[in-house]
Parts: sequence; structure tokens; C-alpha cells
Amino acid sequence: MIDFLLKLFTWWNGHTIGTMVHTRRNGELVGHDEFGNAYYRTKGGAIDPTLGVQRRWVIYAGYAEPTTIPPGWFGWMHHRTDVIPSRDGHRVREWELPHQPNLTGTPGAYRPKGSILGAARRASASADYQAWQPK
Amino acid sequence: MAKIKIDGIELDVAPESTLLQACEMAGAEVPRFCFHERLSIAGNCRMCLVEVKGGPPKPQASCAMAVRDLRPGPNGEAPEVFTKTPMVKKAREGVMEFLLINHPLDCPICDQGGECDLQDQAMAYGVDTSRYAENKRAVEDKYIGPLVKTSMNRCIQCTRCVRFTNEVAGVGDLGLISRGEDVEITTYLETAMRSELQGNVVDLCPVGALTSRPYEFTARPWELTKTESVDVMDALGSNIRVDSRGREVLRILPRLNEAVNEEWISDKTRHVVDGLRTQRLDRPYLRGADGRLKPVSWAEAFGAIAAKVKATAPNRMAAIAGDLASVEELYALKTLATALGIASIDGRPALSGLDPKFGRGSYLFNATIEGVEAADAVLIVGADLRKDAPILNARIRKRWRQGGFKAAVIGTPVDLTYDHVHLGVGPDTLEALARGELAFAEVLKAAKRPLILVGQGAVARADGLAVLSAAARLARDVGAVSDEWNGFSVLHNGASAVGALDIGFVPGEGGLGTAGIVAAAGRGDLDVVVLLGADEIDTAALGSAFVVYLGTHGDAGAHRADVILPGAAYTEKSGTFVNTEGRVQLANRAAFPPGEAREDWAILRALSAVLGKTLPFDSLAGLRAKLYAAYPHLARIDTIAPTSAGDVIALADVGGAMDRAGFVGPIQDFYLTNPIARASAVMAECSALARARTTAAAAAE
Repeated sequence: MIDFLLKLFTWWNGHTIGTMVHTRRNGELVGHDEFGNAYYRTKGGAIDPTLGVQRRWVIYAGYAEPTTIPPGWFGWMHHRTDVIPSRDGHRVREWELPHQPNLTGTPGAYRPKGSILGAARRASASADYQAWQPK
Repeated sequence: MAKIKIDGIELDVAPESTLLQACEMAGAEVPRFCFHERLSIAGNCRMCLVEVKGGPPKPQASCAMAVRDLRPGPNGEAPEVFTKTPMVKKAREGVMEFLLINHPLDCPICDQGGECDLQDQAMAYGVDTSRYAENKRAVEDKYIGPLVKTSMNRCIQCTRCVRFTNEVAGVGDLGLISRGEDVEITTYLETAMRSELQGNVVDLCPVGALTSRPYEFTARPWELTKTESVDVMDALGSNIRVDSRGREVLRILPRLNEAVNEEWISDKTRHVVDGLRTQRLDRPYLRGADGRLKPVSWAEAFGAIAAKVKATAPNRMAAIAGDLASVEELYALKTLATALGIASIDGRPALSGLDPKFGRGSYLFNATIEGVEAADAVLIVGADLRKDAPILNARIRKRWRQGGFKAAVIGTPVDLTYDHVHLGVGPDTLEALARGELAFAEVLKAAKRPLILVGQGAVARADGLAVLSAAARLARDVGAVSDEWNGFSVLHNGASAVGALDIGFVPGEGGLGTAGIVAAAGRGDLDVVVLLGADEIDTAALGSAFVVYLGTHGDAGAHRADVILPGAAYTEKSGTFVNTEGRVQLANRAAFPPGEAREDWAILRALSAVLGKTLPFDSLAGLRAKLYAAYPHLARIDTIAPTSAGDVIALADVGGAMDRAGFVGPIQDFYLTNPIARASAVMAECSALARARTTAAAAAE
């Protein structure tokens, strides 16, 4: 029941009723990522007349958090590539990092250098000059 | 004298003085933007309006109206000036409102904030709201060099900067183009300014249109600690104010001293600041068995020196002092050297012909810097004044602008910014002039107060003494040396030069001079060489000698050294400096030396205890008491001990054979003359620009 009410009144938990109807009618499931987000495209890869390319969309598993889209799927969503990560020929680059949720408001949040909230100590007074180092 | 009444106070003033000056004398404050005591009168800001009785019946710009322009009343009453009437206030408020029409409201992000004339005067004459809904005038920012940042929206067209570059600096770099609302200050082709005094336009700018680029967005004036001090970049000893925050020196500004630098300082003096932060020696180093310098404690460094010194005979040791040493540390080092029996000490440049045994008058700028304005002819021998002492050059230019002044140069042809005759390049010309074969000899003879200016290019050479003597002979023969005028003037390049000569920091009996020490060390005749901040010598030629370097920056000396003792720079110690005219001045501490570095005299005192020759003082006051007892004239701060003309007459009779080579100044690059300047990124940029300009000029020819 609560699930139904959330679907009915919020847009940030999975899909809304309208999106569900649209996806059932026009969508074709392409795949899932490791977080369970489902990726769709227009049926048969048809060209969307307003976009000029096939429409691709994601339905989040639970809370709608766009940063959870992994790099491989991100590339597919933005038409940078047509090869989805689960398919052969997909290359994982060494600089692709695992997903990290936004830490703002948590103890792990970023603090600028010298902030009194941060764990780091302020640089000592010797930092106001640059010492000579012998070769 | 003319009588004038200002706000009811009657006073006598010179008829040619302006109303503004008369008001100042009467104690009435008159706001101004364009008027400046040392520049010509422009009268274009209109902020100094006053009401006059006895002149035109309208507000008058007091800076541009002379006292003699006013008529007395019908019964011979003195003309009256009012500076506080409602009419004056209303007129000034109107002017201020016009100025603010196009002035941006960016005080919170403006570097001038807190020291802005417009801000200050708007407190008295500004209105709280604007009546103008139209867009403000927008002006493109100009590139005018690496030292001055422009923000031309803020410009109120007072033209102080234009007048400064034209009149004082003498380069004509800046100008005003277009008319009316479109008027703009520019270097025309957006080239960098060429003057060595360009930093002064930042001080002159009454608003934030011209601000210091290296200092941009660094600090607000109210958070800075201001320390009055003395500059050491050249031998003039310009008076400066060192602004620091915490341990860091942030900027250097000029301090008013009519007798030395008026209110100008050179760009090297002003912008060497970032050199004080980089390449600093902050701990002692000792060269290990593998030939690499390793950080050690003070005790280890002193122990290594003591072991070496105790194993060495005094005649195989020597000491050289550099350009930035204060009298105190020179005295401490000299006392220590005397105690150890070392005769080879020298604080002069290599091959200098100057010697204190000929008397103080033989090596001072006897005419004094202020005295330049009394001279009516100058002969410059072996000095490139724009590199050696730009402030002195500005002073000579000031004298030249007053007219009735002739200048001539013997040495490398240079652009001095004023008319001069280039007579020749070397001693031949000096001799020909002495024989009266050149027309300029007549000019010197006819002059009431001829000035013979001898630079280091003439005396810092093997025949330096002979050249010095020839110049003294010429001075004597043209009547430059008499009881009331002594025009024989030696210009030094190092801030420590005169101090070193004053306390006799020169080779003793059988001792070697700077060039002799370097050569002897290269031959292996010397085992220990102490360098007190001496980086201008050829440190690579010191052979296998054990080199002790006491200094502030990792420069030539530190790279060659076997032991490095970190000292204090001129902003980090209280020290006495004697300028080229013999004026004794005190530099004060604005910040502390970095890391484990200590004041130089204290290092020498501690070293002396380890060497078993403890110096007889434990504090700076104790050192000064000893120093003043030995050299009483050093105790009289800010004065010049009088010298005798007899020194010059005696010097003239020394004679000697002169080499035929031309006089070449020792300073090739104005911006990189000492370790602090060489550590500064700003100076490096200026130097690269100056070099590119010379190359471009050579290519064009």
C-alpha cells in the first residue's frame, strides 16, 4: 500500500504511474546495472521523431539517484556508445571509479585545508616561506 | 611676500605659491585628486574648489590659482579665501557627484580599499544616493606591464600617472587619449612601461585604477604591521615602509625623506618582496664526505668550522663581505678576524680602487643627493645611473628640468632620460677633459657647482685608484672642491659598501683584497674563506678552499659552500646601513628570520665562542656600544658626518697609470643584482621583459 502511494504521489522512488504506462507501451528493456537500475529504449531501437535518435531512459531501483548510473551505462545513456556494459566489446577504463554516494552532511564530507572541522592540521608557520634545498 | 586671509586668518605667503599651498599653511585642509606637490599642476579634478573674494565670483580651483592672481579689496584689504563656507561644500559635493557617476561601486573587491583618496573624501563630500540611472562608462583594462595592474573603470582621469612618467621618470610611456567621456589612460600600444620607477604610479593613483599586480588581493591596509626601514637594493638607502602580516613581508612602500628618495622608490626596492619568501636558507648545512650538503645542527656546523680554523694558519684564511651586510655584522666579523689574526678581509667589490686610508671624503658622494639640485653641471664617469641608482637619476633629471644644467657621460652610452653629451668611453676621454681639449671642460670650469660623479664602472677595476685620482684631479682643477661645495662624488652600488669602508673592513697589513682572495683560493694558497653574503664574486673559482657561507638565500655562495650558516635578510634584523653620501640609517626588523636562521651578528658571536675568541658583547645594544665607541659618527643616525675637502685634494695627487679600456658598469641586469632579487619571480619577469626589449631594439637597428 505504501509502495503504491509513493508511486502515486512521488516521482523520486522508482517510476511514476505515467512512466510505468509509457514504459510498458513504448519501452524495451536493455539491461540492468549492479544497483538494479533498469535501462530502456524505444521499441526496436526506433528513432524518436523529436530527438532524432532512439530515446533511452532509466528507471531507478528505489530512490532516484542519478549518480548511481555507472560510467559504462552513463556512456550508453548519453549516446556516446551503443555498446552496453554487459555486452562483448565494452572496455572498462582504468580511471573508472566505483560509485561513491554524496558525503555532504556526513562525517566523511570534504573539508577545506585548514578548516577547524577537518581532521587535517593546519600547515605550520614555516609554510610562509619556501626553503632552499641543496642539490 | 603677499598678504592673504584664509578663513579669517591673515598670513604672509610667497606671491607665486598657489591658493592650495596657502590654505595648507593656514591649517585648512583642501581635498584634492589631481594635485601633487612633486608634479606639474593639471587642475582637472576640480575637487579643491574654494571661494575667493578678490577674484572671479565663482568657485576657484585652488591648486591652479596663485596668490598673486587675487586682487586686494578697494581699500587695500588682503584678498580673502574661504574653504569652509556652504558654497564651497556644495561645489565640492557637486564635483564628487560627477566623479562618482562613472566610478564603479566595487570598493569591497578593490585593492585600494582602505587607502583610497576617493573613498576617504566621499566620506566628507559624497552624497548617499545616486541621481543617475544611466549605465556607467565602461573602459577596457590595459596591459601596462608586470608590476602595475589596471582597472580602468575606476579611473577618474586625474593624470597623475601620466605626469609622473613624463616628468619624473622621463619615459613618456603613459598618455591620455580621446576626449570627454571617452578619455582613457594607456601606453598606446599596450606595451609594458619601460621605467625603473613605474611602481610609483600605484602610490600616486588616488583611486584603485592602478594597483600593484604582485600584491593584488593579498591584504587590506588595516591588517598590516608597518615598520619603518631602509632599503638595501642600491647604495642610496631609500627610506621604506615594510608592511608585514604575521611572519610574512607583504609589500614595501616608500617613506618620505626629502634628502634621499623624496617619495619615490625603484621597482627593485618595491617588488623584491617575493624574493624574501623563496630560496631561503632556514637551517645550517654541512658538506659531508660524499660531497653533498646535509642539514645539521648549529653545534655541528660550528664544530666543523672550529676544527678547520684551529688547524689552519691565520695567513691561509680570508673573509669577504657582500653587498647586503649591515655595519653591525661587518664589525663583528672584523673583530673576530682581528682576534684570529686574519688580515685578508674585504667588503669591497673585486679590484676596487677605493681605500679608507685616503680619508672619508675620498669614497663618499660628497655633494649629497639633495645637493644634486644645487649643481649646475654634472660629469658622470663610469656609471649607468638608471641601473646603478634610478632614484638618483630621477633627482638629476629633476635638476635638469629646472634648466641651466649640463650633463656629460664618460662610459658606456646610455639613455639617461635627460639631455647629455657622450664624451667618450674610457680614461683617454677623462685625460683629454682634464687637459681642456673637450668643450665640456669649459662648461665644468664655468659652472658654479660642478658635480663629478664617479661610478663603480670607473673605480672597480685594476687601475681604479688611478682613475679615482684622475677624477679627483679634474674635480680640483675645475673648482668642484672648495669649502662650501664639494662636487667630487663617488656612487657605490652595494648598500654595505660605505659601511665597510667606514669601519675599515679592508685588507690589513699584508692582506689580500677581494680579487686577491679569490685568486689565492683558486691557487690553493688559502684554506678557509668566509663569505658574509658574498654572492657577486666568482664562487666557482675558489678552488679547494673550505668555504663558510653566512647568508640568507641559496644563491652562488651557498652552492659552493662547505658550511652554510643561515642568516637574516634586511627586513628581519635591526641593522645600520651607511648610504653612498655617508648618511647613517637604521633598518628595523619587520619579521623574524625563517626556521633556525638567526641574526648575523649573533651567529658570529656564537661562532666566536666555539673558536675560543669570544667577542666582547652579548647583545645588539652591547655591540652597538662598542661600535659607536670605535666609530662615533655611526651613532648619529640620519645625519652625514662632515668630510673634509682636503681628502679629495690629497687624492688628486696620488696619480698612477690608467689602463686604456673603457668604463663598463658592473650592473648588467638592473633587476637581478643580489641574491634576494635573483630569488624573486617578479624580478625575473621584469628582467626577461627588459632583455626582450633590448634584443628587439638591437634587431631593429
